Amino acid sequence: MAAQSTVRRSRLSNRTREAITGYIFIAPYLIVTGVFLVGLLVYALYISFTDQTATFDRTFQFVGLSNYIEALTNTQFLTTLANVFWYALIVTTMQTIGAVLLAVLLNSKMRFKQFFRTIFYAPSVASSVVISMIFLLLYLRTGYINRLLGLVGLPDDTTWLNNADGLFELIIPGVERISNPFLRGPSVAWMAIMAMNIFTTIPTFMLMFLAALQDIPGQLYEAASIDGASKVYQFFKITLPLLRPTFVLVLVLSTIGTFQIFDQVAIMTKGGPDNTTSTPGYLIYTKVLGEGTTAAAGLGCAMAFILAAIIFFFTFLQRRFIEDQTQ
Amino acid sequence: MATTLDTNKSAAQATAAPPWSARAGTALRYLVLFALGLLFFMPFIISFFSTFKTTNEILSWPPTIFPQEWRWSNWSETWNTTIPGASSNIFPRWLFNSIWLALVVVVAQLFFCSLAAYAFARLQFPGRDIIFAFMLGTMAIPSVVTLIPGYVFFAKLKWINTYWPIIVPSLVTPFGIFLLTQFFKTIPKELEEAALIDGASRFRTYWSIILPMARPALITLGILSFQGSWNNFTGPLLFLRKPDLMTLTVGLNFFKGQYVNDWPKLMIGTMFNAIPVLILFFVFSRYYVEGQASAGVKG
Repeated sequence: MAAQSTVRRSRLSNRTREAITGYIFIAPYLIVTGVFLVGLLVYALYISFTDQTATFDRTFQFVGLSNYIEALTNTQFLTTLANVFWYALIVTTMQTIGAVLLAVLLNSKMRFKQFFRTIFYAPSVASSVVISMIFLLLYLRTGYINRLLGLVGLPDDTTWLNNADGLFELIIPGVERISNPFLRGPSVAWMAIMAMNIFTTIPTFMLMFLAALQDIPGQLYEAASIDGASKVYQFFKITLPLLRPTFVLVLVLSTIGTFQIFDQVAIMTKGGPDNTTSTPGYLIYTKVLGEGTTAAAGLGCAMAFILAAIIFFFTFLQRRFIEDQTQ
Repeated sequence: MATTLDTNKSAAQATAAPPWSARAGTALRYLVLFALGLLFFMPFIISFFSTFKTTNEILSWPPTIFPQEWRWSNWSETWNTTIPGASSNIFPRWLFNSIWLALVVVVAQLFFCSLAAYAFARLQFPGRDIIFAFMLGTMAIPSVVTLIPGYVFFAKLKWINTYWPIIVPSLVTPFGIFLLTQFFKTIPKELEEAALIDGASRFRTYWSIILPMARPALITLGILSFQGSWNNFTGPLLFLRKPDLMTLTVGLNFFKGQYVNDWPKLMIGTMFNAIPVLILFFVFSRYYVEGQASAGVKG
């Protein structure tokens, strides 16, 4: 009896000891996340209901929802939302398509697969600063993009990053000027930044598709070939459905990333020309650092939460919409 | 060199392959891949050559690929740049700041992430699975939400113009923990059990049995966290305002003028920022691919 109880007690204390060790091991993570994520999130929520400035040179008051109302009626903020909506829509779509096509092109029995994969992926490891600086050079009025266009007989004097003309102003005949930033469509400068980012993020997502493609058993294709299915048919009926989880992942990651675009704007255009490349992230940044005396931290936080809500909404739709089709 | 050899080999094999149409298809595929490879790499090559040009040549029409006159001195001029109000060796200083900051982040992440990952993969404690699920969920929170409170908080701590706001939040990351947990789970338990029976502590088994076996995953995380810190722009932009404290990514802004950029210096700085991660990537490309692929497992 006595022996049994000591065994049980020591087993119990072993378990407790293991639990304590576990918590000690994850303590650094818990502290960092508790303070810098959960803590700051709660703090952000709190600030968003006050007229707090980022400089703390005066006492602040609770203002209820007025920051949120102000954000949603602030034309500058609404412009940035329109900009970033077009950006996310076009970039996410194009880079997903590009990534799948490139992955399919690479996923076959071939030599130098590794070599090509390495070459394609290389631009993705460079920083946003590197990419932005290089494309500042390429997009110069006397730059290589214009030169290339000139060589194939297209206009070669576009000032890419200074052109505020909207897409729909350009492609709809007879339309001169559309004042609504959403209906105007992305400006030429904004589309130039989109093209750059599509180009540099395709390889990252290509790798994810490639990993997923390699998991598809080859027998599926063999069976389909025996049944006389064409390559195109196989792509739409076997490859795409099996890639569904990867599509969800890529779309969600891309949506989260594109809605928050910041670095490229801060480096290349500072939101110009005519606010057509300004994004919520960039606007919030200028709010924090305060252009002059109007550092409105409360308003900035409200804007950040509105943006986060929009991102959650779209990623939720993507998960729902694509995963639902599985059933 | 290795590439040329490979090319010859494949050419030899292609001639041996019988069906004619299949061969044309393969040739087309290689042509497309080669063209795409060139397209993806061309911007780097063009930028590299522009580091030897004058600003005038960079801005002239039509743009040249190779410099008309090779100005090697651009590189030494950039290295010896002086900026009003900053110490004299400002460019090497930015480089040094970038390097040590990245090394600190790498070492911290390898230690703290692996420690937490060991607990998630091996230890039983109440709430473990909930905390792990919570951690994965937090990866979807847009970082823009903590931008302002972060700034305000660090300002209150008097941490502006110090490295703390950049180092402390990235000591340990959900991605790193996730990556290592997945790997630790694949290591057979028997190895540790023997050590535990011999009376080794948990920390000891983690340190001397698990960590050595997890080398590939640790290298993957080390590379990715180095790259993350080296490429970080927002953190240094927000918190480092004195030129002496800056890292290369934000220091480069000094080469951008109000009206005209100092193009050669800007491109040389860009090369200094790009080349280390590119070298790291070419040396360890296998680990990069694994890291990216395991990011995909999450979905």
